[in-house]
Amino acid sequence: MKNKYILWGLLLLGLSEPALAVPSFARQTGQDCAACHIGSYGPQLTPYGMKFKMGGYTESDGKEGHIPLSAMLVQSFTNTKKDQTEDAAPHFKTNNNASLQEVSVFVAGRFTDNIGAFSQITWSEPDRKTTMDNFDLRLVKPMQIAGNDTIFGISLNNNPTIQDPFNTTPGWKFPYIGSELAPTPAATQIIGELGTQVLGATAYTLYDNHWYAELGGYQSLSKNILNKMNIDPADKISGTSPYWRVAYFNDMHKSAYSVGLFGLSTHILPGREAGPTDKYTDIGVDGSYQFLGTREHVMTVDGSYIHENRKLDATAPSKINGFVNRLDLSTSYHYDKTYGLTAGFFDIRGNADDVLYNTTEADFGSANGSPNSRGYTLQADWTPLGKENSWGAPFANMRLAVQYTGYTKFNGAKNNYDGYGRNASDNNTLYTSVWFAL
Amino acid sequence: MKRLITILMMAGIAVSMSSQAYAGGDIANGKKVYEEECSDCHSLTAGKNKKGPSFFGVVGRKSATIADFNYSDAMRAKNVAWTPEAINDYIKAPKKSVPGGKMKYDGLDDEKSRTDVIAYIATIH
Repeated sequence: MKNKYILWGLLLLGLSEPALAVPSFARQTGQDCAACHIGSYGPQLTPYGMKFKMGGYTESDGKEGHIPLSAMLVQSFTNTKKDQTEDAAPHFKTNNNASLQEVSVFVAGRFTDNIGAFSQITWSEPDRKTTMDNFDLRLVKPMQIAGNDTIFGISLNNNPTIQDPFNTTPGWKFPYIGSELAPTPAATQIIGELGTQVLGATAYTLYDNHWYAELGGYQSLSKNILNKMNIDPADKISGTSPYWRVAYFNDMHKSAYSVGLFGLSTHILPGREAGPTDKYTDIGVDGSYQFLGTREHVMTVDGSYIHENRKLDATAPSKINGFVNRLDLSTSYHYDKTYGLTAGFFDIRGNADDVLYNTTEADFGSANGSPNSRGYTLQADWTPLGKENSWGAPFANMRLAVQYTGYTKFNGAKNNYDGYGRNASDNNTLYTSVWFAL
Repeated sequence: MKRLITILMMAGIAVSMSSQAYAGGDIANGKKVYEEECSDCHSLTAGKNKKGPSFFGVVGRKSATIADFNYSDAMRAKNVAWTPEAINDYIKAPKKSVPGGKMKYDGLDDEKSRTDVIAYIATIH
């Protein structure tokens, strides 16, 4: 028990100090939430917010005494077009579920001129437990090379792409929050599935405020450590999984854009059992554009396409080569840093595989063994606080959002995809949330 | 003596003409330039310092004189009055104007934009 407290202490303090709407950053820098976040609320970053993140969360107003603590609460309600066959989760119903989705404490901010962090501990009603959530500790060294501003940094983090600054990779892409109590497509990609199970170190540089490059690796945390953090141990990485990222970024103040490539290669031991491994290689291309203008009318476009190549020698040895490809596109418009509309489109395609997808589960299985899914997400949100002269700034922050996700194809078909008569559109989800941060 | 007075008068006229040039800037466009280029880091509210100091009353103010703002040593050493001309020189190339300063802004190349934004912030007092 004593060791458990020591570990939490290290994570909160030693490895201790955010990239969601974390108001302790606003207090540290003197900036408004709107300076770093599109629509005055996290996690979608403005160019300023991207630079703050790449700078290791260390920028400050130069004053002492800032306490790097924040808190967040998300209350949500989920309705699916058709009731699920079984309860959405233990203690919930088959439909129309209200949920205290997340209650989080953040240790987030600057420790020294060169060390900063964002770490999050979360209790969620669906899981009914408190666990270590996102974690990103940074060591940075700004310098001049050939007369150009350059940052060298190291990120110690627990989720590949959680350290990424560009709003396009799995850690931070739209939708930034969604229901945990509605069916979602079966096919996932490994680059987005390792969060909290791993610890990685990546070295990165931003040269001349334009060129970004990052290289590092991830290993699975031991069962012992995961248990102490209240995280159920999942499959294990065999050895070290390399992660890489390159991007070109241009902040022109009135607008900004980025283009890049990223990737992760990993060998997984299912069930942490010694033996053959499942091999995944993910390669993504991404891009983003923001029109910022006078900040009254702000428009963004974000997109990514990730190809995952699979050799599942452990799980599905009959399949020599498989794949899952995922396309995500989203565009948003915010008026007066307060009223937002976002539309997203996703398309998931992969090889048919009965072992992986034809699980004979109602609502979740695929009768034809195909993972192909396609749909859209629409969101309207209202963020009344978080600006320079807002009430309660920089402590009080709130966002109300209504989100609708529609599926035109789900796990391989439009109609009767699970073999029990469920249609893709039966999973169409209305999700409302109220999100507080202080 | 007459020659000195003449020189001083000519210099005064030149400064006045120069300041008038800024005063003649397009204030509406200057507001737009401020919001596009400056507003993330500089408030117009007296006493509200963000990453950069407040612009309230900045034109004519002596440099590095907001008591509770943490200026860089380089800016503290600059010791100038923020005349329109001094502001123009600074925002044209901040890193060149104040080497070692904290402002990471690359500079505003367009001369009209500089003239207009200076004309606008001169109205904030």
